[in-house]
Amino acid sequence: MAAWLVRRLVASMAIVFAVVTITFFVVHLAQGTPCGGERPLPPDVCDRERAVFGYDKPLPVQYVKYLAALLHGKMGYSFGLHRPVADALADAIPNTFILALAALLIDFALGLALGIYQAARAGRFGDVAAGNVALLINSMPVFWLGLVLLLVFAQWLRWFPAGGPHNPILCPRVDSPYCLLDFLWHLTLPALTLGLVGAASTARYQRAAILEVVRQDYVRTARAKGLRERRVLLVHALRNALLPIITLFGLAFPFLFTGAVLIETVFAWPGMGRLAVNAIFQRDYPVVTGAALLTSAMVVLGNLLADALYAVADPRIRVRGGEGGP
Amino acid sequence: MPTARPRAGLTCAALACLILVAGCERPVGCTGEYCGTMVIASGGEPDILLPPVSEFSITRDVTDQLFLKLADLGASGNTIGDEDFLPQLAQRWEWDTPTTLVFHLDPRARWQDGQAVTAADVAFTYDAYTDTLVNSSFRSSLRQIAAVTTRDSLTVVFRFRRRYPEMFYDAVYHQRILPAHLLREVPRDQWRSAAFGRAPVGDGPYRFVAWKAGESIELGADSTFFLGRPHLRRVIWRFTPDQQGAVTQLITGDADAVEVLVTPDNVQRARADSALATYPYKGAAYGYVGFNLAAPGDSTKPHPLFGDRDLRRALVMATDRERVLRNVFGDFAKVPPGPLSQLWWIWDPEIRELPYDSGQAARLLTRTGWTDSDGDGIRDKDGRPLAFRLLLPTTSAVRRQYARLLQEQFRIAGVEVQLDEVDFSLYNERARAGRFDALLNVWNTDPTPSSGFPQTWTPAGFGRSNYGRYDNPEVDRLVDQAVASAANRDQARRAWRAAVETLNRDAPGIFLFATSNVAAVHKRIADVTIRPDSWLALLRTWRIPADRLTDRDRVER
Repeated sequence: MAAWLVRRLVASMAIVFAVVTITFFVVHLAQGTPCGGERPLPPDVCDRERAVFGYDKPLPVQYVKYLAALLHGKMGYSFGLHRPVADALADAIPNTFILALAALLIDFALGLALGIYQAARAGRFGDVAAGNVALLINSMPVFWLGLVLLLVFAQWLRWFPAGGPHNPILCPRVDSPYCLLDFLWHLTLPALTLGLVGAASTARYQRAAILEVVRQDYVRTARAKGLRERRVLLVHALRNALLPIITLFGLAFPFLFTGAVLIETVFAWPGMGRLAVNAIFQRDYPVVTGAALLTSAMVVLGNLLADALYAVADPRIRVRGGEGGP
Repeated sequence: MPTARPRAGLTCAALACLILVAGCERPVGCTGEYCGTMVIASGGEPDILLPPVSEFSITRDVTDQLFLKLADLGASGNTIGDEDFLPQLAQRWEWDTPTTLVFHLDPRARWQDGQAVTAADVAFTYDAYTDTLVNSSFRSSLRQIAAVTTRDSLTVVFRFRRRYPEMFYDAVYHQRILPAHLLREVPRDQWRSAAFGRAPVGDGPYRFVAWKAGESIELGADSTFFLGRPHLRRVIWRFTPDQQGAVTQLITGDADAVEVLVTPDNVQRARADSALATYPYKGAAYGYVGFNLAAPGDSTKPHPLFGDRDLRRALVMATDRERVLRNVFGDFAKVPPGPLSQLWWIWDPEIRELPYDSGQAARLLTRTGWTDSDGDGIRDKDGRPLAFRLLLPTTSAVRRQYARLLQEQFRIAGVEVQLDEVDFSLYNERARAGRFDALLNVWNTDPTPSSGFPQTWTPAGFGRSNYGRYDNPEVDRLVDQAVASAANRDQARRAWRAAVETLNRDAPGIFLFATSNVAAVHKRIADVTIRPDSWLALLRTWRIPADRLTDRDRVER
């Protein structure tokens, strides 16, 4: 197990390194200038700034310098934000992480419940209706669903705020239960948007997994023993049907982080996605590369965690030295 | 009753939560004239709160509440002479000689850390703004000032290189005076990343409270401000990814004010909301199709199409600018009589320009050899179709809408236009490098044409803002005369008018729109006065009467 973990960690680092390298070259080779904002910098001012940031050097030299700085734990300075990239990311990461976590909770809680419900009523009206609704949500682009929820619940009904993580007057910080509720109130729509889309696909996987399991002999035996159908499904079938969901858990990370890019923009949520989008438009190279580094690290770690959970959860799977992961 | 106990438990728990939450609400206590809180929704965020090193208008909005100028533009917007300027940090001023301007600082002025504002701060500020290490974009605006020296702790002397009509404007408008005692030790080449810029100490009506990156900036009123205590106790900027998001926050009641409602739809929505008041004011922007007069990528050769003055004139006359403008802006913009913003005092609807005349445009095209020889609807000459590419940024909904409407108008005239829609960063790079046929550009202007116009429409702007490399020595001469030699406003106006009319005859672009802005502010906020060049310049006088305060105005922290 330890050897497997070490190998996976090394492979993960290689993946992150590859992502950083590709991002670095792609963003630097993309046309455009970091000096072109709302009021573009005059050329002489821009040239001096580019020299200060070392952007006038050949790209391979910049790359080597960037890697050397990374090895010393430095992610560079933002051209557009006028602050260390690490500081900007440190401000944004908690927001993205909380949003992703809340969305993950909604995704799996709702997805599992719906999948079980559908499996229990397979082929009946409830199953078909829920399946079609899930398909409809799953087919919607995540930003579109966000805009619809924003329009209905923030603009028309005014049940939820239109954006941002706090009420800046009453709760600029989460320092009381009231402000915690305020924060959760602000979190609801963006988390629901991301979570609903995820839940729709989780439900389909879960339904299929349970229907697969209920055909197994041990389930038939449980029924033959006279157990109630609810107990058969929730105790006997569900435990084995949960295994594919662990795989889904690993897959959910990339979706959550890419989805967050759009959702953070729609809901003015100050997370890493919004930071990265702005940085891409402004050609703020160190921020784009830093955001890619962190996102890929989190996705890779998420998958690593899912693999480990899979191995722990399923006693039939044994991780052997020569075979990689499950 | 087996179910009674759990339900009672649940009710008790919910009640406890409610009491807990209610008990933790902020106390509501402030009463009187100085309790208001205003939330401004903004489609952008400042990069740094240090005026010399930021070019963003949102930075200017915030820092204008923190840092004072020596004097500020008056309501007339007149930038010539000094009679329409209002004292700020300087209590008074006089001219020792025609090129020597002496300011006397207000002895009551204090930095918010308690230190007095002195003449040394003014001299330090000028030195910083003009230092190549600080690398301020405003440096070029101060080039006519030869030196700034102190006479005593409250007297500062500006010496100019020569005499010209807007000397005073140049001395006071571009610089916000900075605290020397806090910035002197910061290396000049590190000002763009100075910690001061994220938690500044100023001398203005508001003091810095907090900046949550990507989220909000909060300022609190300085109750000891020497020019009078601001009425609004707190001003908070909430940042959204774009201006439309800001408008949504306003409509949903999450914000109290936005600078610009952008589209006629938004204006209608704001006017339909009984809680909001709208405030129209002159816009500082104008938009145009700029023709590249040089070959794309090679400025030594003329453009194969737009090097021809007659072709450019024909395209201007083929464009029904009024109709397109109504489609996009409704009543919230005007067709400009040249490359002018409504903010400029030289705006004059009587300036002569090429008319919309599709018949004359067609005749001119035919006369210059552009005919539809193959009947495909597109004119051609020597086997080459009359076609060009129009560069525009994807980030501007207005320009994208304009591009499509223009494309259709040109198609009717027998001209094929392909749209090059690229992101803003690439747009700027290509515009500056001259890698385009024509572009759909917008300029946000200063209150005076004296700096922006020459930079955009004379060779002084080659490689900078004169993207299309327009060059007419007669225009240059008239602009020089207007900027530098005019003895008075009338003489300057005549010179400007002649320059714009000459330029219009050359048709270096199609001048499409000059914006009229509409701001929206919550109705509980009274005495809202907007100065068009800087909408929050008079924020200090906005107030919320005591009888209109809401809980969120009164809330204490």
